[in-house]
Amino acid sequence: MSVDIREIEDFLYAEADLLDRTDLENWMALFTDDGTYWMPVREDQDDPLNEISILYENRTLMAIRCNNFGHRLAPSMEYPVRCNHIISAVRVTGEDEARGLLTVTSKFQAVVCYREQTLYAGRYTHRLQKEPDGYKIRQKRVDLINCDANHKSLLIYI
Amino acid sequence: MTYSKEKIGRLVEEARVHRSVYTDPELFELEMDRIWGHSWVYVGHESQLAKPGEFITTTVGKEPVILVRDKADAIHVLYNRCGHKGSKVTARPCGKNSVFRCPYHGWTYQLDGKLQMTPHKIGYENTGFDPEDPQFSLRPVARVASHRGFVFACLASDGPDFREFMQDTIATIDNMVDRSPEGEVEVVGNCLPYMHDCNWKMFVENLNDAVHPMVAHASVGKATEKLMKSLPEGTPYPPEAEIIFPFGSAYDLFDSMKVTTMPYGHSYMGGEQSIHTGYSDIPGYFEALVAGHGEDKAKTILSRNRHNTTVYPSFTIKDAVQVIRVVRPISVNQTLIQSWHFRLKGAPEQLLHRTITYSRLINSPASMVGPDDWDVYSRMQESLQSNAAEWVDMHRYLGRDELVEDSDLKRAPGTSDLTMRNQYQAWLEYMTVETAA
Repeated sequence: MSVDIREIEDFLYAEADLLDRTDLENWMALFTDDGTYWMPVREDQDDPLNEISILYENRTLMAIRCNNFGHRLAPSMEYPVRCNHIISAVRVTGEDEARGLLTVTSKFQAVVCYREQTLYAGRYTHRLQKEPDGYKIRQKRVDLINCDANHKSLLIYI
Repeated sequence: MTYSKEKIGRLVEEARVHRSVYTDPELFELEMDRIWGHSWVYVGHESQLAKPGEFITTTVGKEPVILVRDKADAIHVLYNRCGHKGSKVTARPCGKNSVFRCPYHGWTYQLDGKLQMTPHKIGYENTGFDPEDPQFSLRPVARVASHRGFVFACLASDGPDFREFMQDTIATIDNMVDRSPEGEVEVVGNCLPYMHDCNWKMFVENLNDAVHPMVAHASVGKATEKLMKSLPEGTPYPPEAEIIFPFGSAYDLFDSMKVTTMPYGHSYMGGEQSIHTGYSDIPGYFEALVAGHGEDKAKTILSRNRHNTTVYPSFTIKDAVQVIRVVRPISVNQTLIQSWHFRLKGAPEQLLHRTITYSRLINSPASMVGPDDWDVYSRMQESLQSNAAEWVDMHRYLGRDELVEDSDLKRAPGTSDLTMRNQYQAWLEYMTVETAA
Protein backbone atom coordinates (compact mmCIF):
# COMPACT_ATOMS: atom_id res chain seq x y z
CA MET A 1 0.00 0.00 0.00
CA SER A 2 1.50 3.31 -0.95
CA VAL A 3 1.26 5.68 1.98
CA ASP A 4 1.49 9.41 1.54
CA ILE A 5 2.21 10.81 5.01
CA ARG A 6 1.12 14.29 3.89
CA GLU A 7 -2.28 12.92 2.91
CA ILE A 8 -2.63 11.33 6.33
CA GLU A 9 -1.56 14.49 8.13
CA ASP A 10 -4.10 16.47 6.15
CA PHE A 11 -6.77 13.98 7.10
CA LEU A 12 -5.94 14.28 10.82
CA TYR A 13 -5.85 18.08 10.60
CA ALA A 14 -9.21 18.15 8.87
CA GLU A 15 -10.69 15.83 11.48
CA ALA A 16 -9.38 17.99 14.33
CA ASP A 17 -10.65 21.10 12.57
CA LEU A 18 -14.19 19.69 12.55
CA LEU A 19 -13.91 19.22 16.33
CA ASP A 20 -12.53 22.75 16.68
CA ARG A 21 -15.64 23.97 14.89
CA THR A 22 -17.82 21.61 16.99
CA ASP A 23 -19.21 20.23 13.74
CA LEU A 24 -20.02 16.80 15.15
CA GLU A 25 -22.22 15.81 12.23
CA ASN A 26 -19.45 16.04 9.66
CA TRP A 27 -16.87 14.78 12.14
CA MET A 28 -18.94 11.65 12.75
CA ALA A 29 -19.18 11.05 9.00
CA LEU A 30 -15.41 10.44 8.94
CA PHE A 31 -15.94 7.14 10.75
CA THR A 32 -16.79 3.79 9.16
CA ASP A 33 -20.21 2.38 10.07
CA ASP A 34 -18.53 0.18 12.70
CA GLY A 35 -16.16 2.96 13.76
CA THR A 36 -15.52 3.73 17.44
CA TYR A 37 -14.07 6.53 19.54
CA TRP A 38 -12.26 5.40 22.68
CA MET A 39 -10.79 7.35 25.59
CA PRO A 40 -9.45 4.91 28.23
CA VAL A 41 -9.25 5.82 31.92
CA ARG A 42 -6.11 3.76 32.50
CA GLU A 43 -2.66 3.67 30.94
CA ASP A 44 -2.16 0.65 28.65
CA GLN A 45 -5.85 -0.27 28.91
CA ASP A 46 -6.59 -2.89 26.27
CA ASP A 47 -10.29 -3.61 26.80
CA PRO A 48 -13.13 -1.14 26.29
CA LEU A 49 -15.95 -3.62 27.05
CA ASN A 50 -14.96 -5.28 30.32
CA GLU A 51 -13.39 -2.22 31.91
CA ILE A 52 -14.60 1.33 32.41
CA SER A 53 -13.44 4.06 30.03
CA ILE A 54 -14.07 7.80 30.02
CA LEU A 55 -15.60 7.40 26.55
CA TYR A 56 -16.23 4.47 24.23
CA GLU A 57 -18.77 5.34 21.57
CA ASN A 58 -20.00 3.79 18.35
CA ARG A 59 -21.79 5.59 15.52
CA THR A 60 -25.15 5.30 17.30
CA LEU A 61 -23.87 7.06 20.41
CA MET A 62 -22.06 9.62 18.26
CA ALA A 63 -25.37 10.38 16.55
CA ILE A 64 -27.16 10.72 19.91
CA ARG A 65 -24.36 12.98 21.17
CA CYS A 66 -24.61 15.03 18.00
CA ASN A 67 -28.35 15.52 18.62
CA ASN A 68 -27.69 16.29 22.29
CA PHE A 69 -24.90 18.78 21.64
CA GLY A 70 -26.17 22.29 22.37
CA HIS A 71 -29.62 20.93 23.26
CA ARG A 72 -31.78 23.67 24.77
CA LEU A 73 -33.00 21.34 27.55
CA ALA A 74 -29.54 20.32 28.78
CA PRO A 75 -28.28 22.59 31.58
CA SER A 76 -24.68 21.68 30.74
CA MET A 77 -25.17 23.00 27.21
CA GLU A 78 -25.94 26.60 28.13
CA TYR A 79 -22.28 27.51 27.74
CA PRO A 80 -20.23 27.72 24.58
CA VAL A 81 -17.71 24.98 23.82
CA ARG A 82 -14.60 26.09 21.95
CA CYS A 83 -11.59 23.96 21.10
CA ASN A 84 -8.21 24.27 19.51
CA HIS A 85 -6.18 21.23 18.53
CA ILE A 86 -2.50 21.01 17.72
CA ILE A 87 -1.26 17.74 16.25
CA SER A 88 2.33 16.71 15.62
CA ALA A 89 4.64 13.71 15.23
CA VAL A 90 2.28 11.93 12.85
CA ARG A 91 3.67 8.47 12.11
CA VAL A 92 2.42 5.32 10.42
CA THR A 93 3.11 2.57 12.94
CA GLY A 94 1.22 -0.33 11.40
CA GLU A 95 0.01 -1.48 8.00
CA ASP A 96 -2.37 -4.30 7.09
CA GLU A 97 -2.19 -4.25 3.35
CA ALA A 98 -4.68 -7.09 2.79
CA ARG A 99 -7.43 -5.24 4.67
CA GLY A 100 -6.36 -1.74 3.67
CA LEU A 101 -5.83 -0.72 7.28
CA LEU A 102 -3.28 1.72 8.66
CA THR A 103 -2.36 2.47 12.23
CA VAL A 104 -1.32 6.08 12.69
CA THR A 105 -0.04 7.56 15.93
CA SER A 106 0.34 11.24 16.70
CA LYS A 107 0.81 13.63 19.61
CA PHE A 108 -1.82 16.22 20.39
CA GLN A 109 -2.58 19.14 22.61
CA ALA A 110 -6.18 20.28 22.74
CA VAL A 111 -7.31 23.39 24.55
CA VAL A 112 -10.99 23.22 25.41
CA CYS A 113 -12.84 26.24 26.66
CA TYR A 114 -16.00 25.12 28.44
CA ARG A 115 -16.83 27.25 31.49
CA GLU A 116 -13.08 27.33 32.11
CA GLN A 117 -10.10 26.67 29.88
CA THR A 118 -8.54 23.21 30.13
CA LEU A 119 -5.51 21.77 28.40
CA TYR A 120 -5.74 18.13 27.37
CA ALA A 121 -2.68 16.41 25.96
CA GLY A 122 -1.74 12.93 24.88
CA ARG A 123 -1.42 10.45 22.08
CA TYR A 124 -3.86 9.63 19.31
CA THR A 125 -3.97 6.22 17.70
CA HIS A 126 -6.04 6.24 14.53
CA ARG A 127 -6.94 3.00 12.79
CA LEU A 128 -7.63 4.20 9.28
CA GLN A 129 -9.47 2.32 6.54
CA LYS A 130 -8.32 3.08 3.00
CA GLU A 131 -11.31 3.74 0.78
CA PRO A 132 -11.50 4.70 -2.90
CA ASP A 133 -12.04 8.38 -2.08
CA GLY A 134 -9.69 8.69 0.89
CA TYR A 135 -9.62 7.43 4.47
CA LYS A 136 -12.25 6.55 7.05
CA ILE A 137 -11.68 6.02 10.78
CA ARG A 138 -12.21 2.52 12.17
CA GLN A 139 -11.11 3.64 15.61
CA LYS A 140 -9.78 6.79 17.18
CA ARG A 141 -8.10 6.06 20.50
CA VAL A 142 -7.26 8.99 22.74
CA ASP A 143 -4.73 8.33 25.49
CA LEU A 144 -4.67 11.39 27.72
CA ILE A 145 -1.44 11.76 29.70
CA ASN A 146 -3.70 12.33 32.70
CA CYS A 147 -6.27 9.68 31.78
CA ASP A 148 -6.78 8.75 35.44
CA ALA A 149 -6.97 12.33 36.78
CA ASN A 150 -9.98 13.73 38.59
CA HIS A 151 -11.56 15.26 35.52
CA LYS A 152 -14.45 17.67 35.46
CA SER A 153 -17.14 17.51 32.77
CA LEU A 154 -15.99 16.90 29.21
CA LEU A 155 -18.64 17.93 26.71
CA ILE A 156 -16.96 17.15 23.43
CA TYR A 157 -14.67 14.59 21.86
CA ILE A 158 -11.00 15.51 22.09
CA MET B 1 -15.89 28.48 67.58
CA THR B 2 -18.79 30.48 66.24
CA TYR B 3 -21.22 27.55 65.91
CA SER B 4 -22.85 26.61 69.20
CA LYS B 5 -25.15 23.61 69.34
CA GLU B 6 -28.12 26.00 69.39
CA LYS B 7 -26.90 27.90 66.34
CA ILE B 8 -26.45 24.69 64.36
CA GLY B 9 -29.91 23.59 65.50
CA ARG B 10 -31.40 26.67 63.88
CA LEU B 11 -30.00 25.75 60.44
CA VAL B 12 -32.38 22.84 59.90
CA GLU B 13 -36.15 23.10 60.13
CA GLU B 14 -38.83 20.56 59.32
CA ALA B 15 -39.08 21.50 55.66
CA ARG B 16 -36.19 23.82 54.94
CA VAL B 17 -32.46 24.06 55.48
CA HIS B 18 -30.28 27.14 55.73
CA ARG B 19 -28.07 27.83 52.71
CA SER B 20 -24.92 28.08 54.85
CA VAL B 21 -24.81 24.27 55.24
CA TYR B 22 -23.57 24.21 51.64
CA THR B 23 -21.35 27.27 51.65
CA ASP B 24 -19.74 27.86 55.05
CA PRO B 25 -16.19 26.45 55.30
CA GLU B 26 -16.47 26.34 59.09
CA LEU B 27 -19.51 24.06 58.90
CA PHE B 28 -17.60 21.89 56.43
CA GLU B 29 -14.77 21.46 58.95
CA LEU B 30 -17.31 20.56 61.64
CA GLU B 31 -18.90 18.02 59.29
CA MET B 32 -15.54 16.40 58.65
CA ASP B 33 -15.16 15.86 62.38
CA ARG B 34 -18.72 15.18 63.53
CA ILE B 35 -20.24 13.37 60.51
CA TRP B 36 -17.29 11.93 58.59
CA GLY B 37 -15.35 11.30 61.78
CA HIS B 38 -18.22 9.48 63.51
CA SER B 39 -20.07 7.56 60.79
CA TRP B 40 -18.98 4.39 59.00
CA VAL B 41 -17.31 5.52 55.78
CA TYR B 42 -16.69 3.24 52.79
CA VAL B 43 -13.00 2.52 52.25
CA GLY B 44 -12.67 -0.14 49.55
CA HIS B 45 -13.42 -3.70 48.50
CA GLU B 46 -11.43 -6.72 49.63
CA SER B 47 -11.04 -7.92 46.02
CA GLN B 48 -8.72 -4.95 45.51
CA LEU B 49 -6.36 -6.63 48.00
CA ALA B 50 -6.51 -10.22 46.84
CA LYS B 51 -3.06 -11.15 48.19
CA PRO B 52 -1.17 -10.40 51.42
CA GLY B 53 0.72 -7.12 51.15
CA GLU B 54 -1.67 -5.62 48.60
CA PHE B 55 -3.02 -2.22 49.55
CA ILE B 56 -4.95 0.78 48.33
CA THR B 57 -4.86 4.34 49.63
CA THR B 58 -7.81 6.68 50.00
CA THR B 59 -9.36 9.07 52.49
CA VAL B 60 -11.91 8.80 55.28
CA GLY B 61 -13.24 12.32 55.55
CA LYS B 62 -10.03 14.33 55.44
CA GLU B 63 -7.86 11.56 56.88
CA PRO B 64 -5.46 9.79 54.51
CA VAL B 65 -5.67 6.02 55.05
CA ILE B 66 -4.22 2.76 53.76
CA LEU B 67 -6.41 -0.33 53.35
CA VAL B 68 -4.07 -3.34 53.47
CA ARG B 69 -4.16 -7.14 53.79
CA ASP B 70 -1.48 -8.46 56.14
CA LYS B 71 0.44 -11.75 55.96
CA ALA B 72 -2.18 -13.49 58.12
CA ASP B 73 -4.92 -12.34 55.70
CA ALA B 74 -6.33 -9.80 58.13
CA ILE B 75 -7.56 -6.46 56.79
CA HIS B 76 -6.36 -3.19 58.34
CA VAL B 77 -7.20 0.45 57.82
CA LEU B 78 -4.18 2.51 58.90
CA TYR B 79 -3.65 6.25 58.96
CA ASN B 80 -1.21 7.04 56.15
CA ARG B 81 1.08 9.05 58.41
CA CYS B 82 4.55 8.09 59.54
CA GLY B 83 4.84 7.94 63.34
CA HIS B 84 8.04 9.96 63.14
CA LYS B 85 7.56 13.28 61.34
CA GLY B 86 4.21 12.64 59.72
CA SER B 87 5.01 11.97 56.07
CA LYS B 88 2.64 9.78 54.09
CA VAL B 89 4.42 6.43 53.92
CA THR B 90 3.06 5.76 50.45
CA ALA B 91 1.76 8.10 47.78
CA ARG B 92 0.64 5.35 45.42
CA PRO B 93 -3.09 4.69 44.86
CA CYS B 94 -2.51 0.93 45.11
CA GLY B 95 0.35 -1.57 45.21
CA LYS B 96 1.96 -4.47 46.99
CA ASN B 97 4.49 -4.19 49.81
CA SER B 98 6.10 -6.55 52.30
CA VAL B 99 6.48 -3.60 54.71
CA PHE B 100 5.72 0.12 54.57
CA ARG B 101 8.91 2.16 54.62
CA CYS B 102 8.73 5.90 55.07
CA PRO B 103 10.68 7.53 52.21
CA TYR B 104 11.96 10.35 54.48
CA HIS B 105 13.99 8.75 57.34
CA GLY B 106 13.35 5.08 56.65
CA TRP B 107 11.11 4.14 59.54
CA THR B 108 9.67 0.78 58.58
CA TYR B 109 6.28 -0.68 59.51
CA GLN B 110 4.77 -4.13 59.41
CA LEU B 111 1.62 -4.56 57.33
CA ASP B 112 -0.49 -4.32 60.49
CA GLY B 113 1.06 -0.90 61.17
CA LYS B 114 3.43 -1.91 63.97
CA LEU B 115 6.77 -0.11 63.94
CA GLN B 116 9.38 -2.64 62.84
CA MET B 117 12.57 -0.64 62.59
CA THR B 118 14.08 2.80 62.95
CA PRO B 119 17.51 3.24 61.32
CA HIS B 120 20.65 4.17 63.26
CA LYS B 121 19.20 3.14 66.62
CA ILE B 122 22.17 4.41 68.59
CA GLY B 123 20.75 7.93 68.48
CA TYR B 124 17.66 6.85 70.44
CA GLU B 125 19.56 5.07 73.21
CA ASN B 126 18.94 6.55 76.67
CA THR B 127 16.60 9.21 75.26
CA GLY B 128 13.38 7.78 76.66
CA PHE B 129 12.18 7.00 73.14
CA ASP B 130 9.93 3.93 73.33
CA PRO B 131 9.47 2.16 69.97
CA GLU B 132 6.59 0.18 71.50
CA ASP B 133 4.58 3.35 72.11
CA PRO B 134 1.54 3.21 69.75
CA GLN B 135 2.08 6.82 68.74
CA PHE B 136 5.13 5.65 66.76
CA SER B 137 3.18 3.05 64.77
CA LEU B 138 1.12 3.51 61.62
CA ARG B 139 -1.98 3.92 63.71
CA PRO B 140 -5.09 1.92 62.96
CA VAL B 141 -8.44 3.71 62.68
CA ALA B 142 -10.76 3.08 65.61
CA ARG B 143 -13.06 0.52 63.97
CA VAL B 144 -13.13 -1.50 60.75
CA ALA B 145 -15.92 -3.75 59.47
CA SER B 146 -16.32 -5.74 56.30
CA HIS B 147 -19.49 -7.12 54.79
CA ARG B 148 -19.16 -9.44 51.80
CA GLY B 149 -15.91 -7.71 50.90
CA PHE B 150 -17.13 -4.12 51.31
CA VAL B 151 -14.88 -2.50 53.92
CA PHE B 152 -16.07 0.43 56.00
CA ALA B 153 -14.16 2.33 58.68
CA CYS B 154 -15.21 4.49 61.60
CA LEU B 155 -12.69 6.95 63.03
CA ALA B 156 -14.52 7.08 66.39
CA SER B 157 -14.51 4.29 68.93
CA ASP B 158 -17.99 5.18 70.20
CA GLY B 159 -21.31 5.26 68.36
CA PRO B 160 -23.35 2.54 66.67
CA ASP B 161 -21.69 -0.67 65.57
CA PHE B 162 -21.50 -1.41 61.85
CA ARG B 163 -24.65 -3.54 61.55
CA GLU B 164 -26.74 -1.10 63.57
CA PHE B 165 -25.38 1.75 61.42
CA MET B 166 -26.06 0.05 58.08
CA GLN B 167 -29.74 -0.66 58.83
CA ASP B 168 -31.60 -2.08 55.82
CA THR B 169 -28.93 -0.88 53.35
CA ILE B 170 -27.11 -4.15 54.04
CA ALA B 171 -29.84 -5.88 51.99
CA THR B 172 -28.80 -3.90 48.91
CA ILE B 173 -25.18 -5.05 49.24
CA ASP B 174 -26.45 -8.61 49.78
CA ASN B 175 -28.68 -8.40 46.73
CA MET B 176 -25.84 -7.18 44.53
CA VAL B 177 -23.50 -9.93 45.69
CA ASP B 178 -26.23 -12.60 45.52
CA ARG B 179 -26.70 -11.70 41.86
CA SER B 180 -23.42 -13.56 41.33
CA PRO B 181 -24.07 -17.28 40.75
CA GLU B 182 -21.06 -17.86 43.01
CA GLY B 183 -22.18 -15.33 45.62
CA GLU B 184 -19.07 -13.19 45.13
CA VAL B 185 -18.18 -9.98 43.35
CA GLU B 186 -14.89 -8.38 42.45
CA VAL B 187 -13.77 -4.89 41.47
CA VAL B 188 -12.88 -4.56 37.80
CA GLY B 189 -10.44 -1.95 36.53
CA ASN B 190 -9.66 1.50 37.82
CA CYS B 191 -12.25 3.73 39.34
CA LEU B 192 -13.76 6.44 37.20
CA PRO B 193 -13.16 9.70 39.08
CA TYR B 194 -15.23 12.84 38.52
CA MET B 195 -14.40 16.10 40.29
CA HIS B 196 -17.46 18.17 41.19
CA ASP B 197 -17.46 21.89 41.96
CA CYS B 198 -20.06 21.58 44.70
CA ASN B 199 -20.64 20.69 48.29
CA TRP B 200 -20.78 16.92 48.93
CA LYS B 201 -24.39 17.07 50.17
CA MET B 202 -25.68 18.27 46.80
CA PHE B 203 -24.50 15.03 45.22
CA VAL B 204 -25.87 12.89 48.05
CA GLU B 205 -29.26 14.65 48.02
CA ASN B 206 -29.58 14.16 44.29
CA LEU B 207 -29.28 10.36 44.46
CA ASN B 208 -32.91 9.87 45.44
CA ASP B 209 -34.21 13.12 43.97
CA ALA B 210 -36.77 11.85 41.48
CA VAL B 211 -38.10 15.27 40.50
CA HIS B 212 -35.01 16.17 38.50
CA PRO B 213 -34.41 13.40 35.91
CA MET B 214 -37.28 14.32 33.58
CA VAL B 215 -36.08 17.93 33.62
CA ALA B 216 -32.30 17.93 33.92
CA HIS B 217 -31.87 14.75 31.84
CA ALA B 218 -34.60 15.35 29.27
CA SER B 219 -32.26 16.14 26.40
CA VAL B 220 -30.50 12.81 26.02
CA GLY B 221 -33.79 10.90 25.73
CA LYS B 222 -35.03 13.38 23.15
CA ALA B 223 -31.72 13.16 21.28
CA THR B 224 -32.15 9.37 21.16
CA GLU B 225 -35.76 9.66 19.94
CA LYS B 226 -34.65 12.09 17.24
CA LEU B 227 -32.09 9.58 16.02
CA MET B 228 -34.68 6.76 15.93
CA LYS B 229 -37.09 8.94 13.92
CA SER B 230 -34.35 9.56 11.36
CA LEU B 231 -33.84 5.81 10.81
CA PRO B 232 -36.04 3.53 8.68
CA GLU B 233 -39.22 2.43 10.48
CA GLY B 234 -38.76 -0.77 12.42
CA THR B 235 -35.07 -0.17 13.12
CA PRO B 236 -34.49 -1.80 16.50
CA TYR B 237 -33.58 0.47 19.39
CA PRO B 238 -29.90 0.35 20.31
CA PRO B 239 -29.10 -1.48 23.57
CA GLU B 240 -28.13 1.83 25.18
CA ALA B 241 -31.73 3.03 24.87
CA GLU B 242 -32.93 0.82 27.73
CA ILE B 243 -30.45 2.61 29.98
CA ILE B 244 -31.16 6.13 28.67
CA PHE B 245 -34.95 6.24 28.37
CA PRO B 246 -35.94 5.48 32.01
CA PHE B 247 -34.24 8.74 33.03
CA GLY B 248 -37.05 10.54 31.23
CA SER B 249 -39.81 8.63 33.05
CA ALA B 250 -42.86 10.54 34.23
CA TYR B 251 -43.42 11.77 37.80
CA ASP B 252 -46.13 9.11 38.35
CA LEU B 253 -43.73 6.28 37.63
CA PHE B 254 -41.13 7.63 40.05
CA ASP B 255 -43.86 8.18 42.66
CA SER B 256 -44.95 4.56 42.31
CA MET B 257 -41.39 3.35 42.95
CA LYS B 258 -41.47 4.96 46.42
CA VAL B 259 -38.53 6.06 48.53
CA THR B 260 -37.66 4.44 51.82
CA THR B 261 -35.64 6.06 54.57
CA MET B 262 -34.07 4.80 57.75
CA PRO B 263 -32.07 6.13 60.69
CA TYR B 264 -28.60 7.64 60.17
CA GLY B 265 -29.68 9.36 56.93
CA HIS B 266 -29.80 6.30 54.68
CA SER B 267 -32.36 5.73 51.94
CA TYR B 268 -33.20 3.86 48.80
CA MET B 269 -35.58 4.21 45.91
CA GLY B 270 -37.53 1.37 44.37
CA GLY B 271 -37.61 -2.12 45.78
CA GLU B 272 -39.58 -4.33 43.48
CA GLN B 273 -39.58 -1.78 40.72
CA SER B 274 -36.97 0.76 39.67
CA ILE B 275 -35.60 2.44 36.58
CA HIS B 276 -33.53 -0.72 36.09
CA THR B 277 -36.49 -3.16 36.07
CA GLY B 278 -36.96 -3.13 32.31
CA TYR B 279 -33.47 -4.30 31.36
CA SER B 280 -33.43 -7.16 28.88
CA ASP B 281 -32.54 -10.69 29.91
CA ILE B 282 -29.01 -11.84 29.23
CA PRO B 283 -28.86 -15.37 27.77
CA GLY B 284 -27.61 -17.97 30.21
CA TYR B 285 -27.66 -15.69 33.24
CA PHE B 286 -30.86 -16.94 34.88
CA GLU B 287 -29.77 -20.55 34.34
CA ALA B 288 -26.40 -19.81 35.95
CA LEU B 289 -28.11 -18.12 38.88
CA VAL B 290 -30.48 -21.09 39.35
CA ALA B 291 -27.52 -23.47 39.26
CA GLY B 292 -25.81 -21.40 41.94
CA HIS B 293 -28.72 -20.62 44.26
CA GLY B 294 -31.73 -22.76 43.27
CA GLU B 295 -34.74 -21.46 41.38
CA ASP B 296 -36.70 -19.95 44.26
CA LYS B 297 -33.80 -17.93 45.59
CA ALA B 298 -32.75 -16.90 42.07
CA LYS B 299 -36.24 -15.49 41.42
CA THR B 300 -36.29 -13.69 44.76
CA ILE B 301 -32.87 -12.14 44.08
CA LEU B 302 -33.94 -10.84 40.67
CA SER B 303 -37.29 -9.57 41.97
CA ARG B 304 -35.51 -7.02 44.15
CA ASN B 305 -34.52 -3.94 42.26
CA ARG B 306 -33.41 -0.83 44.00
CA HIS B 307 -32.36 2.35 42.20
CA ASN B 308 -29.83 4.14 44.43
CA THR B 309 -29.27 2.94 47.96
CA THR B 310 -27.49 5.66 49.88
CA VAL B 311 -25.42 4.90 52.93
CA TYR B 312 -25.10 8.39 54.36
CA PRO B 313 -22.70 10.11 53.95
CA SER B 314 -20.14 8.30 51.79
CA PHE B 315 -21.55 5.50 49.67
CA THR B 316 -24.22 4.75 47.11
CA ILE B 317 -24.84 1.40 45.45
CA LYS B 318 -26.97 0.06 42.60
CA ASP B 319 -27.61 -3.61 43.24
CA ALA B 320 -29.14 -4.27 39.82
CA VAL B 321 -26.30 -2.56 37.93
CA GLN B 322 -23.27 -3.51 40.07
CA VAL B 323 -21.93 0.02 40.34
CA ILE B 324 -21.06 1.95 43.47
CA ARG B 325 -20.22 5.61 43.77
CA VAL B 326 -18.09 6.87 46.61
CA VAL B 327 -18.17 10.42 47.96
CA ARG B 328 -14.82 12.01 48.91
CA PRO B 329 -15.31 15.60 50.11
CA ILE B 330 -12.37 17.86 49.27
CA SER B 331 -13.59 21.25 50.53
CA VAL B 332 -16.83 23.08 51.14
CA ASN B 333 -17.27 23.56 47.40
CA GLN B 334 -15.43 20.62 45.88
CA THR B 335 -16.25 16.91 45.97
CA LEU B 336 -14.65 13.94 44.28
CA ILE B 337 -17.00 11.17 43.15
CA GLN B 338 -15.45 7.79 42.36
CA SER B 339 -17.40 5.16 40.41
CA TRP B 340 -16.33 1.55 40.93
CA HIS B 341 -17.54 -1.40 38.88
CA PHE B 342 -18.06 -5.00 39.90
CA ARG B 343 -18.00 -8.35 38.12
CA LEU B 344 -20.54 -10.92 39.26
CA LYS B 345 -18.39 -14.04 39.50
CA GLY B 346 -19.83 -16.88 37.43
CA ALA B 347 -22.19 -14.65 35.40
CA PRO B 348 -22.04 -14.21 31.60
CA GLU B 349 -19.70 -11.39 30.62
CA GLN B 350 -22.55 -9.43 29.00
CA LEU B 351 -23.61 -8.44 32.52
CA LEU B 352 -20.28 -6.76 33.08
CA HIS B 353 -20.58 -5.10 29.67
CA ARG B 354 -23.91 -3.63 30.78
CA THR B 355 -22.41 -2.44 34.08
CA ILE B 356 -19.62 -0.71 32.18
CA THR B 357 -21.95 0.72 29.55
CA TYR B 358 -24.28 2.05 32.23
CA SER B 359 -21.49 3.88 34.00
CA ARG B 360 -20.06 5.34 30.78
CA LEU B 361 -23.52 6.58 29.78
CA ILE B 362 -24.54 7.95 33.17
CA ASN B 363 -21.57 8.43 35.54
CA SER B 364 -18.67 9.41 33.29
CA PRO B 365 -17.49 13.02 33.27
CA ALA B 366 -17.93 12.72 29.49
CA SER B 367 -21.41 11.16 29.63
CA MET B 368 -24.62 12.86 28.54
CA VAL B 369 -26.16 12.63 32.03
CA GLY B 370 -23.52 13.33 34.71
CA PRO B 371 -22.51 16.74 33.29
CA ASP B 372 -26.11 17.97 33.57
CA ASP B 373 -26.15 17.07 37.27
CA TRP B 374 -22.69 18.59 37.63
CA ASP B 375 -23.89 21.79 36.07
CA VAL B 376 -26.91 22.29 38.32
CA TYR B 377 -24.86 21.50 41.43
CA SER B 378 -22.26 24.10 40.51
CA ARG B 379 -24.99 26.63 39.74
CA MET B 380 -26.44 26.10 43.21
CA GLN B 381 -23.01 26.33 44.79
CA GLU B 382 -22.52 29.71 43.15
CA SER B 383 -25.97 31.16 43.61
CA LEU B 384 -26.44 30.05 47.21
CA GLN B 385 -23.86 32.76 47.93
CA SER B 386 -26.56 35.20 46.85
CA ASN B 387 -28.33 37.15 49.56
CA ALA B 388 -31.61 36.89 47.68
CA ALA B 389 -32.89 34.27 50.11
CA GLU B 390 -31.66 32.33 53.12
CA TRP B 391 -33.38 28.95 52.81
CA VAL B 392 -33.47 25.86 50.62
CA ASP B 393 -36.87 24.19 50.48
CA MET B 394 -37.85 20.55 51.08
CA HIS B 395 -41.66 20.55 51.37
CA ARG B 396 -42.56 17.89 48.78
CA TYR B 397 -45.03 15.35 50.27
CA LEU B 398 -44.39 16.68 53.78
CA GLY B 399 -46.65 15.02 56.34
CA ARG B 400 -47.58 12.13 54.08
CA ASP B 401 -44.91 9.60 55.05
CA GLU B 402 -45.99 6.04 55.90
CA LEU B 403 -44.32 4.25 58.77
CA VAL B 404 -43.36 0.75 57.72
CA GLU B 405 -44.71 -1.70 60.28
CA ASP B 406 -42.31 -3.22 62.84
CA SER B 407 -39.37 -1.16 61.63
CA ASP B 408 -37.70 2.24 61.73
CA LEU B 409 -38.38 2.64 58.01
CA LYS B 410 -40.43 5.46 56.53
CA ARG B 411 -41.82 5.38 53.02
CA ALA B 412 -43.17 8.05 50.68
CA PRO B 413 -43.94 8.58 46.99
CA GLY B 414 -40.73 8.59 44.95
CA THR B 415 -40.75 12.32 44.31
CA SER B 416 -41.04 13.14 48.01
CA ASP B 417 -38.37 15.25 49.71
CA LEU B 418 -38.46 12.63 52.48
CA THR B 419 -34.90 11.43 51.75
CA MET B 420 -33.55 14.97 52.00
CA ARG B 421 -35.48 15.69 55.23
CA ASN B 422 -34.19 12.40 56.60
CA GLN B 423 -30.61 13.28 55.69
CA TYR B 424 -30.88 16.60 57.50
CA GLN B 425 -32.36 14.87 60.54
CA ALA B 426 -29.22 12.71 60.64
CA TRP B 427 -27.04 15.75 59.88
CA LEU B 428 -28.51 17.55 62.86
CA GLU B 429 -28.03 14.58 65.16
CA TYR B 430 -24.38 14.20 64.16
CA MET B 431 -23.65 17.92 64.25
CA THR B 432 -25.23 18.68 67.64
CA VAL B 433 -24.07 15.63 69.59
CA GLU B 434 -22.28 16.48 72.85
CA THR B 435 -18.61 15.82 72.23
CA ALA B 436 -16.00 15.22 74.87
CA ALA B 437 -13.68 17.65 73.11
